[in-house]
Amino acid sequence: MAVELSPKMQAFTQEVFPAIIGTNRKDGSVEIVPVWFEQKDGAFWINGGTNRGWFKHLERDPRITLLLIDPKEMFRWAQVEGRMVNWAEDPGGEHINQLSHRYLKKDYQGPRTGRIKIQIEPLRVTGAIDGRR
Amino acid sequence: MAGAKKAAALSPAVRKLAALPILVVIATKRNDGAVQLNPVWFELKDGFVWLNSNTNRTWPKNLQRDRELTMLLVDPKVPDRYAQIRGRLVSLIPDPKHEFIDRLSDRYTGKKFRELEPSEHRVTLKIQPVAVTGALIE
Repeated sequence: MAVELSPKMQAFTQEVFPAIIGTNRKDGSVEIVPVWFEQKDGAFWINGGTNRGWFKHLERDPRITLLLIDPKEMFRWAQVEGRMVNWAEDPGGEHINQLSHRYLKKDYQGPRTGRIKIQIEPLRVTGAIDGRR
Repeated sequence: MAGAKKAAALSPAVRKLAALPILVVIATKRNDGAVQLNPVWFELKDGFVWLNSNTNRTWPKNLQRDRELTMLLVDPKVPDRYAQIRGRLVSLIPDPKHEFIDRLSDRYTGKKFRELEPSEHRVTLKIQPVAVTGALIE
């Protein structure tokens, strides 16, 4: 069951910093990388290409953990454990362009073809923002 | 699991980043295989990554079970620059006089660590880097 984000988490996820995502590799180890994200209507959205390692991991095991951390004040953090519930093509790179505006305040400069957007449902939230460890 | 893996040398760029008082994000796995991420204090010294924790926390328990973890260092000024370091727990060292956590605390806050809770036992975790990937490879 998806969890509802608290008002504090709603506000925190509007701040602009990358999410650090953790996915399970086939060999049982964890891959962690920073990615752009947005939170909308209680779900998290990230963007990538089907060739990305983390996306391949998610196709096999949809569990994903996001660490949201304020790079200027690293005690402000939240961990969101969730799962990929959906992914879709991002025709024309509309979604990556939207993310680019969120992070860089300008149009996306990279290639806009072959991109996908991934929807993540939060299942558990812990960390300093909600005061739960 | 990681028994035969050799140590990985860290590049000057990674060592420079690790010298900053930034947190390292560590990934361990829960019992059910779900990924747990925690930002923690660390020190890079003698080619090892040194962490410290309260023995009641989940992540050191996960790490003792699997002996493996993944760590991420992100350049605070340029989030696209990061190093992902896979590591292996080589030893667990009790820190009864909390000397190591005091040193880590000094690195981050310039002060000794807070008073310990009566039930709090600190332990130092020595991590051998085994592979480095990411945008900071030279």
